[in-house]
Amino acid sequence: MEIDLHGIVVIVGNYGSGKTEVSINLAVNQKRAGMDVRIADLDLVNPYFRTREARNPLSTLGIDMVLPPEKYMQADLPILTPAIAGMIRQPTEMTLLDVGGDDVGATVLASLAEPLRGKNIRMLQVVNPFRPFTDTVQGCLKIRDEIEKASKMTINGIIGNTNLIDETTMTDIYEGYDFVHALSEASGLPLEFVTITTELFPEADMKRFSCPVLPIERQLVPPWKKAANLGPALLKPAYNNI
Amino acid sequence: MGKVLMKGNEAIGEAAIRAGCLNYFAYPITPQSEVAEYLSRRMPEVGGMFLQGESEVAVAYMLFGASACGERVFTTSSSPGISLMSEGISYVAGAQCPVVFVNIIRGGPGLGGILPSQGDYFQATKGGGHGDYRLLVMAPASVQETVEMVMMAFPLAEKYRNPVMILGDGLIGQMMEPVEFPDHLRTEPTNKDDWATNGMDTRKDNKQNLVKSLYLDPTQLNDHNLLLKAKYERMKQEDVRYEPYNTDTDYKVLIISYGTMSRVCRTAIDNLKAEGLEVGMIRPQTLFPFPEKAIHDAAIKESCKAVISIEMSMGQMVEDVERCVQGKRPVEWYGKCGGDVPTPEEIMDVVRNWKLET
Repeated sequence: MEIDLHGIVVIVGNYGSGKTEVSINLAVNQKRAGMDVRIADLDLVNPYFRTREARNPLSTLGIDMVLPPEKYMQADLPILTPAIAGMIRQPTEMTLLDVGGDDVGATVLASLAEPLRGKNIRMLQVVNPFRPFTDTVQGCLKIRDEIEKASKMTINGIIGNTNLIDETTMTDIYEGYDFVHALSEASGLPLEFVTITTELFPEADMKRFSCPVLPIERQLVPPWKKAANLGPALLKPAYNNI
Repeated sequence: MGKVLMKGNEAIGEAAIRAGCLNYFAYPITPQSEVAEYLSRRMPEVGGMFLQGESEVAVAYMLFGASACGERVFTTSSSPGISLMSEGISYVAGAQCPVVFVNIIRGGPGLGGILPSQGDYFQATKGGGHGDYRLLVMAPASVQETVEMVMMAFPLAEKYRNPVMILGDGLIGQMMEPVEFPDHLRTEPTNKDDWATNGMDTRKDNKQNLVKSLYLDPTQLNDHNLLLKAKYERMKQEDVRYEPYNTDTDYKVLIISYGTMSRVCRTAIDNLKAEGLEVGMIRPQTLFPFPEKAIHDAAIKESCKAVISIEMSMGQMVEDVERCVQGKRPVEWYGKCGGDVPTPEEIMDVVRNWKLET
């Protein structure tokens, strides 16, 4: 089952749900599938572990990145480069917007209302049930509501990103899948895909999932660990035969 | 409760609640503002309070006042904010109030930057404020350890009637790791009737308590300082904490490193072991009291040729390491403090260079 996303894809979710790791890996996956992919770091609220941290491997793969100007890269200032509006006006096959966490992080979208108007947009909420405040369906729906109010946009899909980083087990993944499946039913929003790290991927029973699965090659790691090597650009997705 | 995935800053907030602390006064500053954000949401759920002061100076005295009344209370800040609080911290220490301070260090001096640093080692361990006082300083290396240390900090502060500081670098606050919380502690300080200005209702006798740091009489002030000194000596006897790593080998080099920096060192030590070079490490978990004996004893092991203090600062902890080693082995320093954390490869090079020279 392939991930069926194109055009402008906006990744939102509660703080720490894994939006950036998902965005980076989605960009890589779609690029490997042959799409032209552009990704913008819209995280104006997080000081560490942002998309810009992975700019080197992404540009090696030929993924276009829109980042704050170099001299402001480490500033904790809410800088929104005008290039973002430009990339929205002329979207590539996939234009990914990685937005900051919670309603606070999503507020930035309201300032892009003009270029976004009339566009066909997929806005997806990343959910990790192991995070505080999104361990219940109710909690996820509350965040959805807050993000929609702040962004003045509508969420129209869910991404299940169940993980405890290195301590994730397949049991966690299955339980997390059941959780986001229930959330999908309760909210009426389609479950776009779920994620599994490449380490756990071989153990996964694919029949268990009724949606596509995005393999995660972890990029945002602390300094004592190595980011997964994304390697040179591939023509085919890594798991296109599953 | 099972494991949850938390940012260090969120875990600090939750750990304080579980330690029974329902008073949090703070002023936001990167990279620890998520503590305030988390607690502004969580405190109302548990009947606690987050009050944002108009500045860190104000916050320090709000802590002083609430603690003097016998309330369990804490704050979090980052380097420049702790500098602003330092006058108040001296008053809190002088008046023997059990306040918990958390410093998620950013790069300095001055405004510096917002990335990880350990540049506040001197400030935390040697006193940022005036007078002869010490903080009990604990330095966690993981989010789980941060939870444990925050929960430990409150009873320790009450045991000594002394402020305790949790010293974490920016990474401790910002990184996410799975954590588990022990059950709700919520133990009330047992000794507060002896000293706090908590009203006469529960008092068995009519003794009135006075919380103060002013002693105009020279003999009284000297006695007061002797009493404080006795507490600091007791900390050295009873509450030194450290973790040895790979020290049961015939290591050639001994690394002293704390906080997240020590985790980079661990990776380097594991890699060097695979290459056939043994390196040991002592990780101080308390920076004051410092693990003096452990470092001394590990340094003078026959196989050990050199001691290297690896820190995200320009050579602060190394002064304490030198003091412990007493000139019996060469003591070196390696570090960076702009925000780029030294990599395992850098550390491996530093250690290999030592092997070549000895």
